[in-house]
Amino acid sequence: MPTIELLDPGRHGRLRLRARAAEVPHFIQVVASEFSAAAATCPILFTKEASTGAFYAGAMFGFKPGENLVGIPEEQGAFVPLMWQRDGFFISDRNVAIDREHARFSEDDGAPLFDDAQQPGDALRAIQRTLGDIHQGLEQTKSFIAALLELKLIEPIDISLNFDGGERLTLQGLYTVSLDRLRDLDDAAVLRLFRAGHLQLAYTMAASLRQIARLARLRNQRKAT
Amino acid sequence: MVHPVKRIVIVGGGTAGWLTAGVIAAKHRGRMDAGFSVTLVESPNTPIIGVGEGTWPTLRSTLARIGVSETEFFRQCDVAFKQGARFSRWTTGAPDDYYYHPLMLPQSFGQLNLVPHWLAREDGSTFCDAVCAQGRLCDDGLAPKTIATAEFEAVANYSYHLDAGKFAPFLQAHCCEKLGVRHVLADVRRVNLAENGDIRSIDTEQAGEIEGDLFVDCTGFKALLIGETLGVPFKDCSDVLFCDRALAVQVPYASEAAPIACQTNSVAQSAGWIWDIGLPARRGIGHVYSSRHISDEQAERELRAYIGPAGAALPVRKIPIRSGHRETFWKRNCVAVGLAAGFLEPLEASAIVLIELSAKLIAEQMPVCREVMDLIAARFNSTTHYRWGRIIDFLKLHYVLTRRQDSAFWRDNLLPETIPDRLKDLLLLWSHQSPWFHDEFDRVEEVFPAASYQYVLYGMGFRTQVEPSALGADARNAERALRENAVQTERLRAGLPRHRDLIRKIVEHGMQAV
Repeated sequence: MPTIELLDPGRHGRLRLRARAAEVPHFIQVVASEFSAAAATCPILFTKEASTGAFYAGAMFGFKPGENLVGIPEEQGAFVPLMWQRDGFFISDRNVAIDREHARFSEDDGAPLFDDAQQPGDALRAIQRTLGDIHQGLEQTKSFIAALLELKLIEPIDISLNFDGGERLTLQGLYTVSLDRLRDLDDAAVLRLFRAGHLQLAYTMAASLRQIARLARLRNQRKAT
Repeated sequence: MVHPVKRIVIVGGGTAGWLTAGVIAAKHRGRMDAGFSVTLVESPNTPIIGVGEGTWPTLRSTLARIGVSETEFFRQCDVAFKQGARFSRWTTGAPDDYYYHPLMLPQSFGQLNLVPHWLAREDGSTFCDAVCAQGRLCDDGLAPKTIATAEFEAVANYSYHLDAGKFAPFLQAHCCEKLGVRHVLADVRRVNLAENGDIRSIDTEQAGEIEGDLFVDCTGFKALLIGETLGVPFKDCSDVLFCDRALAVQVPYASEAAPIACQTNSVAQSAGWIWDIGLPARRGIGHVYSSRHISDEQAERELRAYIGPAGAALPVRKIPIRSGHRETFWKRNCVAVGLAAGFLEPLEASAIVLIELSAKLIAEQMPVCREVMDLIAARFNSTTHYRWGRIIDFLKLHYVLTRRQDSAFWRDNLLPETIPDRLKDLLLLWSHQSPWFHDEFDRVEEVFPAASYQYVLYGMGFRTQVEPSALGADARNAERALRENAVQTERLRAGLPRHRDLIRKIVEHGMQAV
C-alpha cells in the first residue's frame, strides 16, 4: 500500500533517494512535450484509464507486462519518460508529495533530498523540474486529446504480431490518430490544429507506429540469443 | 407528371413519433436543402402513454444512426442496461422455477447448433448457462460493459431499460436541434382528404392547415388517421393472448446504493404476469392480466403482494390494453407506427423494436413519388404483417410451454383453438429438430432470432428428440464451444463492474465515442 505524504524538510530531512528501478514498464504514460523524443525510441499510442475510460497517451517499451525491449534508456542516452523519472513522487495541489513506502526512499543510501540547511538538494531539484514539466505537459496533452476527440480523429488500432517460433500476440485497447480522417478535415480545422500545435503531435504519433515493427524485431533477436 | 413525396408529416409525439422522425430525418438529411421536410405535429394537451420501458439491442444501432450520444442518453433518460429477461414461475409455478432469455447468442451460434449436444449431455446444467455467460452476469448484478468500452459497443450484448417519459423529450431536442425536424405544437381539428382518397392535409387549432405527401400516424390507441379517418379495422388477437389490463406502479429503491437489476423480471401470477424493471432512480412494476380470469381487485392484491410492505401506499395506475393490430399498416399515403399500428402485452419488449423496424423500413424505402407509393406500401404491409405474426407466435410460445394447471388462465392457454396454426406446426417440428439458422427464420431482420426460441423452449423444459448418431460429426466442436463458454463466463464475471457502479461512472465521466 502506498503511503502518500506531503514532502516536508522537517519530517523528511534525512531521507535519501536511491536510483530508480532498472526497467521502464512495458507501457508508460507520456505527455505532449515528450512525443518527439519518445517517437525516436518507441511507439506512442492512446489507451483508456480503466477507472474513468478517459484517453491518455503512452509510450510502449514492450508488448506485455514486465517486458522492456528498449533497454535502460539512460545508458543509451535515449528517451527517459518523465513519469519514470518522477517514480515515487506526486503532485498534490501545488505541492510535492511522496510515497513513503516506495523502494526509492531510504535513510541509509542514495542522494540526500535536502541539504543541511533543509533546502532541496540537486536530486530533489531535478524531480521538482520533472514534476513541473509533467504538470504542464498533462494540460497540453489533455487539450490535444480533446481536440482529436472533437474532430473524431482517434481510432482503435488492432496490432497482431507473429513472432519466430510461432508465438502470436494480439494487443487490444490501443488507439491512434486516424490519418484518413485527418486528410478529410476542412482547411479551417487543419489550421486550428496547426496553430494549437496539435497537428505536429498527431503526425508524430502516427509516425511512431513504425517503431512497433522495430520492437518486434528486437524481441525476435532477444529470443534467438 | 409525377408527384414527388417530399413533405413527411408525423402526427403524434411520444416514443413512436420522435423515433420515426429521427430515423427518417437522419436518413434523408441530405435532401432537406432540396425541399424534403419532416414535420411532427403534437398536441400540447395529450399526455404521452409511455408504455414499454424495455427495449431490444436494435435500439443501440438506431440511436447511433440518429446520431445521439449514448452518454447523454444515460444522463437524460434515467437509463439502465438490460441483458435479457428472467422468467419466474412460468413453467411449473414453483418458487424456484425460473429461466433466462438473454441477449447474447449461444456460443459459436454461427458455426453450430449446441442444442442437441446440450440435450444429449443431460448434466443438469441449464441451457442458458451451458451456452452463454449472460444468465450468470445477471445473477451477479454485473453490467454488460466497462467504462472503457466505447459508446454503443458491448462486452456482453445489451439493450436498455428507460424512462419513456424522458425519452421522448430527449429525442425531440435532438431531432429539432440536429436533424432539422420541424416541431408544431397543435391540436388536430380535422383531417382533409383529397379527391382520390389520400390525406391531403390536417387542420389544426393553433397552427392552421398543414399539408403533406406522406402522413405517419403516431397518435397512439386513437389511431386518428389510419383508423378514424381511413377506416382500417383493428384485428383483435385476444383469442390468442388473453391479457387485457395492466396495473402499473413506480417503486422507489430502499437506498441510493441499492443494486439495479440488469434484466427484466417477469413473474407469472394466477392470471397473467408481473413485470419488474429497474431504472437507476426507481423500479417500474406492473401486473398484466386477463380480466376474463380475475377481477381488478384480485389483480391489485397480487401486485401489492409482490411489491411487499414498501409499496402499500403507492398509487396504482390502471391501463386498459387491447392486443391486436391494424389489418393494414400503410394505406394510401398514411402509415401507422407505434400504438396506432397495434399493441401486444410487453412480455418481450416488442413495442419499441417494432417502432424502430417500421421507421427504418419507411426511411429506407421512402417512395420517391406518389406513383410508386402503393408498391412500397404493399411491401411494408407484407413485412409488417409477418413481424406481428411472429411476435404473437413468440409471445404465445411462453404460454403453451407451461405445465401450470393451477388456474383457468394457464389451462385455457393450452386450448388448441387458442394456438396459431403456424406455432402448432413449429412445435411439432421442434419436437424432432431444434430451431437454428436453417429454419423459417430467414428474414434479414427477424424480430426474434432462432436463438430466442432456443432460450425460451429449453429454458421451459421443452425436449427435442436427439439421435445420438447424428451428433458425431460436430461432437468435438460442440465440446470445445461449451468449454469456451465456461471459460468466457468466468472471465466476464471477473472483469465486469457492478451495474449501478457503471451507470454512476457513465453519468460522471461519460463513455468515449470510440
